[in-house]
Amino acid sequence: MPPKGKAAPKPKASEAKATQPSSSKKQPAANTPPATIAELSQLRLDESRPFDAVRRKQGLSALSRDEQTTWYAARFARQPAHARNRVPIKTQRELWRQVNEASIGLRALRDHTTKWGLAASPVVTSGGDVGGLSIEAFGEWSERRLRLTALEVASRAFRERRERARRGETEGKDRVVVTETDVDDEKERRREMAEVRQKLYGVVTGRFALDPEWDDVVPIPHEEPDGALAVIAYPAEYAEAISYLRAVMASKEYSDRCLRLTETIIEMNPAHYTVWLYRAAIIQALKLSIPYEMEWLNKVALDNLKNYQIWHHRHLLVDSYYPTIAEDAEATKEFGAAEQAFLTRILAEDAKNYHVWSYRSYLVDKLGMWDDPGELAAVEDLIDADVRNNSAWSHRFFLVFSHPARSTPGVAATEPDPAAPSEIVDREVSYAKDKIVLAPQNQSPWNYLRGVLVKGGRKLAEAEEFSSQFVVGLGEGGGREEVTSTHALDLLAEIYAEKGDKERADLCLRRLGEKWDRIRVGYWEWRRKCLN
Amino acid sequence: MSDKSNKLPEELQLFTSAHVKYIQSLDTRKDEYDYWLTEHLRLNGLYWGLTALHILGHPEALPRAETIDFVLSCQHENGGFGAAPGHDAHMLSTVSAVQILALVDAFDDLESRGKGKAQVGKYIANLQNRQTGTFAGDEWGEEDTRFLYGAFNALSLLGLLDLVDVDKAVDHIVSCANFDGGYGSGPGAESHASQIFTCVGALTIAGRKDLIDTDRLGRWLSERQVAGGGLNGRPEKKEDVCYSWWVLSSLEMIGKTHWIDRDSLIAFILSCQDPDRGGLSDRPGNMVDVWHTVFSITGLSILGYPGLQPVDEVYCLPKSTIERVLGR
Repeated sequence: MPPKGKAAPKPKASEAKATQPSSSKKQPAANTPPATIAELSQLRLDESRPFDAVRRKQGLSALSRDEQTTWYAARFARQPAHARNRVPIKTQRELWRQVNEASIGLRALRDHTTKWGLAASPVVTSGGDVGGLSIEAFGEWSERRLRLTALEVASRAFRERRERARRGETEGKDRVVVTETDVDDEKERRREMAEVRQKLYGVVTGRFALDPEWDDVVPIPHEEPDGALAVIAYPAEYAEAISYLRAVMASKEYSDRCLRLTETIIEMNPAHYTVWLYRAAIIQALKLSIPYEMEWLNKVALDNLKNYQIWHHRHLLVDSYYPTIAEDAEATKEFGAAEQAFLTRILAEDAKNYHVWSYRSYLVDKLGMWDDPGELAAVEDLIDADVRNNSAWSHRFFLVFSHPARSTPGVAATEPDPAAPSEIVDREVSYAKDKIVLAPQNQSPWNYLRGVLVKGGRKLAEAEEFSSQFVVGLGEGGGREEVTSTHALDLLAEIYAEKGDKERADLCLRRLGEKWDRIRVGYWEWRRKCLN
Repeated sequence: MSDKSNKLPEELQLFTSAHVKYIQSLDTRKDEYDYWLTEHLRLNGLYWGLTALHILGHPEALPRAETIDFVLSCQHENGGFGAAPGHDAHMLSTVSAVQILALVDAFDDLESRGKGKAQVGKYIANLQNRQTGTFAGDEWGEEDTRFLYGAFNALSLLGLLDLVDVDKAVDHIVSCANFDGGYGSGPGAESHASQIFTCVGALTIAGRKDLIDTDRLGRWLSERQVAGGGLNGRPEKKEDVCYSWWVLSSLEMIGKTHWIDRDSLIAFILSCQDPDRGGLSDRPGNMVDVWHTVFSITGLSILGYPGLQPVDEVYCLPKSTIERVLGR
């Protein structure tokens, strides 16, 4: 029996128990308090509509006569006046009496109030259904959403204020301004918004969306054609930065914030060549200090030793900078020295880095550093550090023999050059020999020696005595044959052939193919054939 | 070697099906960090994978229609191709695009659905520095003999080599020659096996092999073979399986392939395989990637390893493709 009294039924556990139809089947959940918000709202719904749930499931016949009356009375009370007035007046009065006795509320909750809906959120684990949250968790959830809304309102207010300031509007007598504090507050606000969003929905807000400085830029997201063969998946941070890059490149913005954007992207992916191109364009457009840019580039270069783009960027910077100091000998010298210092530093990390060395040869030519004693000294230091550094040997040859005052244009690389001074040739032959003895099997100085002799138009036989020290007892049996340099033996074969001693040349080549350098027997056999 | 192949011990076998599966799986590894870091190589990577598959005898392993669609989706209005959709056009990706289209016989699609051969030729030709004869990679202006070779490769496949100043380009290559017989990336740069490939390849396409000091160069190239059988790229550097292509193709072009020891190189290449994952790495035991995979396999093809399609040493495409495209 519904409780008597004036108050509307309250959702107390004991009352909830009392409103259950006595004739209905036992419902196990009836006595336990609601655990989830969906259960709670369902409870409220049922309480506001007495016996409605039972009637739906089991029909009116499952209710007792009194219960049926109560049910009908409640239903009656909620109908609009014109529907109620169809019922005879006497019956109406009787029904109203029932409503008062049972203290039935005139308003019933609607069915949709139990539908909490879905949310894509890590908090909501029950298949995304918010109704599955516990009452406590739901409280937290609601609070967070309220907080987020409040923050969004304040953020919007900031944007509007900024727009008004931009338009030069006034408030009374004063101009509308956005102070640094306002911006800092907004940044803080966005940080909090990002945090709340992450807790509620699991979304991560990108750093650019968090930064009021970038509000006016609409990022251009990556578009992948459907069913692409090689679909690219980006980490969110990189994707966001690139989407902003696309936007500013499309609008051709050259500004400080864009410069910082390129730096961010370069840090994440220094091989992205478009961003380097854009950075160079910004530096040019804003006429930024190139030595300052060089210093930044130095750091990036040290962190990315295998990268090509860095060195081309450097190349472009020099091309741009050099004309401004070309007339000033002092400035040129200073710049050259600064570059040399950095090259020394980076070669200390990776002494044979191809990009660095090819940049070096470009620099020597550009700045005319052919006679700079520091350049030759740098090469010698590196050879001292590692006599096997072929890059250093190669650069030395370039420095010495491509010198504009000592080389004839049009002469092939492996041909004699009449412009090569004799004393220079002597000096280089001597240098090569000194280094060969340190590691006789090292190929570089042997290539160098031979290259110098050819370039100087000398006979290879000039190196006969020197080479012979590395070959002892050639062709003699009994373990007396000793070769400490196959390159020496190779050169000797050439020398004997040059002198016309085919027999001795053949012996050298044969022993190379048979024993001392068997892996290249194909080559040694071909050389033997060439003797005839 | 052909009839001994069945009796080869495990360490001398080529795990063809593993390599095919590895290449096929490449575009599904979207969640790997390296995948997005190398997006600027995406189209190049497709060329490497597809060429490897063709040489391995499995051209059907990647879907032809989707391949063509992807390639064309990388093309810009100016005719050039970017490394991936939305990426700016660049010489290297343009060359890869042309090579892929040649491989799958899709020049007609380029005409009907793409921007057409002439536009591609124009894009490439515009990248030539008419003063020095060399080529830039893109409007940024980086110059390297790699781009020169790429230009010659793509233009000759398209039948448009006459769009550029071949003689000036040849002069530039000559200026990159060094005292040791090798070539560098530019004048004064150190001789390097991969730069040598580009210079010798370009000279071959231009019909100017006469300008090469083949004895000196051959000697320098043969010295790349280290005791373990592998090849390095410069004196006193470590061996790396990709030099099996750069060095061998160069030797093949100057007719000196017999100047290196074939068996020990084959053994080295095969030891760089990953029999479980598929693919090959730069040195035994390291991580595999598609770059080292294709250049190992094309290297093996030059060495006449059984079961592989013959590769063209100038274009790094199957000989059958070159026969079809250039009619020889």
